[in-house]
Amino acid sequence: MVPEEIWILIETFLFPGFLFLFFLAFFTEWLDRKIVAKFQNRYGPLYVGPKGILQPIADFIKLLSKEDITPRMVDKIPFKLTPILLLTLAITPLFCIPILSSTALISFEGDLIAVMFIMSLTALLVFIGGWASTNRFSSIGSMRAALQLFAYEIPMNIVMIGPAITAGSLSISKIVDWQAHGVWNMFIQPIGFIVLIVCLMAHLQKVPFDIPEAESEIVSGWIVEFSGKKLALIRLAKNFEFVLASSLITSLFLGGPYGPLYISPIIFLAKFFLCVFILSNLRAAFARYRIDHLLTGAWKYLTPLALLQITLIKIWGI
Amino acid sequence: MTFEIPFGPQHPALEEPINFMFEIDEERVVNVKLRLGYVHRGIEKIAESRNYQQLVYLSERICGICSFAHTLCYSQSVEELLGLEVPERAKFIRTILAEMERIQNHYLWLGLTAKEMGFETLFMYAWRDREIIIRMLDMISGKRVNYGVNTIGGVRRDITESMIGRIEESLKHLEVRAEYYTKVCTKDPLILRRTVGVGVLRPREARALCAVGPTARASGIAHDIRADDPYAAYGEIPFKVVTYRGCDVASRMYVRIDEIKESIKIIRYALKNMPDGPIRVRVPILMKVPKGEAVSRVEAPRGENLHFLKSNGSDKPERWKIRAPTLANLSSLCRMLIGINLADIPVVIAGIDPCIACAERVVLIDSKRDKWKIWNGKDLWRYANEWYRKKYGF
Repeated sequence: MVPEEIWILIETFLFPGFLFLFFLAFFTEWLDRKIVAKFQNRYGPLYVGPKGILQPIADFIKLLSKEDITPRMVDKIPFKLTPILLLTLAITPLFCIPILSSTALISFEGDLIAVMFIMSLTALLVFIGGWASTNRFSSIGSMRAALQLFAYEIPMNIVMIGPAITAGSLSISKIVDWQAHGVWNMFIQPIGFIVLIVCLMAHLQKVPFDIPEAESEIVSGWIVEFSGKKLALIRLAKNFEFVLASSLITSLFLGGPYGPLYISPIIFLAKFFLCVFILSNLRAAFARYRIDHLLTGAWKYLTPLALLQITLIKIWGI
Repeated sequence: MTFEIPFGPQHPALEEPINFMFEIDEERVVNVKLRLGYVHRGIEKIAESRNYQQLVYLSERICGICSFAHTLCYSQSVEELLGLEVPERAKFIRTILAEMERIQNHYLWLGLTAKEMGFETLFMYAWRDREIIIRMLDMISGKRVNYGVNTIGGVRRDITESMIGRIEESLKHLEVRAEYYTKVCTKDPLILRRTVGVGVLRPREARALCAVGPTARASGIAHDIRADDPYAAYGEIPFKVVTYRGCDVASRMYVRIDEIKESIKIIRYALKNMPDGPIRVRVPILMKVPKGEAVSRVEAPRGENLHFLKSNGSDKPERWKIRAPTLANLSSLCRMLIGINLADIPVVIAGIDPCIACAERVVLIDSKRDKWKIWNGKDLWRYANEWYRKKYGF
């Protein structure tokens, strides 16, 4: 019999802890790049490892070895802290997601609120990072990031509360548990599901909403002054945010690790990759919105739709 | 509060170095300053020390994308000076290649504009289709970019029967794709949002600022050298000048896509009605060109291309002036840019299909005295020497 402590150590560091999450993040990036390449009639990563599966790791290591420049004019402390905090804040909420069983590593009443709060903090960090760079392009990029936050944050948080209302709990694990005994939230809250996907695309700054780092307009925006290790960490943080987004959809709307018969991390991963597929698919299918288009769109359609979803839940009283 | 942001000379949205200084009020462009001169190559000066045959190849290197239009324009001006009658078949081959180049350029443009909008998928698709026409050009000329087909007195390569079949095949495919792009660009809501009403250039402004090519045609001005002043075989081929009245980037997009379709029709007609016969008139390599002046105009994919050639009776030209379409369009571009959103800058700049290297001439503008003068290399050299002598005393 293995003592309890060792299990906890394994769960924290190996599976589904740090090591697993790191590989999942890199694998997700590879999958995303491969899917988008397929849509765009390209090959995507090809050389490192079988079918280029190790390419994201190679990119990460390459960036780590590059020269790390801190420009003279930047605000040193926030500039240096941004990549580290961004990575930390991207990893932390992942421990609240139940992967192995119905209870997550960290699970308490109200962890959904904590996750939502941390997700807002990452968006705020983007603003701070861009602002601290004191570059003209990154200033515009960070302003856009802040504006984008106003657009998607409110509808996103409203629809994330939807599953909590039905489950009667603010804990992600309990919401997953509730779905195992009832129906997946996707079927009873289809509007919320769609709104959440759109908002998460904006949160991840992926193609129709890559406004803060629009390459052809403002030279990758808020990211422009980061190089070397900082850029590596930011890219890794972005991968983790992608993982977090997909696993949030999986947990809140697709029933987490619960399958039709038994509970397994493999089922979680299957659903997770389905979400990655949906998000990557959307990335390949659109041109970039303009910031004013996004703001009007979010306030005209997304927020009312999110409120409608909550109202419907209350009316049907599920 | 306004602040300035630079756009270029190095910028992901620009393929070539040019510098725009935008005065931005929040996200709106208030004013724009243009700076040229990063890729000045002194081609016109070099021309004065080369003979006429060598200049065919120099003119090819003015622009990578419309290389055929420049050689055609140059060859025509020399032929005019020599009083040379080009064989009919050569004229048709010139027409076919010029139209193929147009298709190639317009697909390239479509892809780049999509990329500026952040629509990478359309970029990849358009460039994949461009590959087909580039292969056809490669088949005819042996090269993908600088074809080296034009020469003084005709063309150097013939289009054989076996080539015609393959060209027809690829044209069929390209036509289907052009239809598809029409559908995408008229239906996709995001493309419409990013292009309709963006970068407006009213017809009156377009005429006043001398806009040329698709930029002018998208403002409703039916200005096309192929129809206005037919050269090569365009006088014998029926085609229609595509114009749109939208005056915005969307219209520029539709003009170009429709021109692809029109070019395909022209190539089909030309292939069918191509007469037999020789493809060139031989001229001596070191020929003396009679004294005189000639102006030749060609509708390059980007607009009107103008070459002025002055001969002094020797084997080298006395003056060769090139006016590439981008230079004509830059002033209207500055008009379009004012008042637009920061996010629309790349799309609008891409909208005129700029080719900066073609447009480079030394024009010095003294804004204080409102005078401007054009310098050649010698003047520049003298000015630079004097400046350093004054400053450092040597």
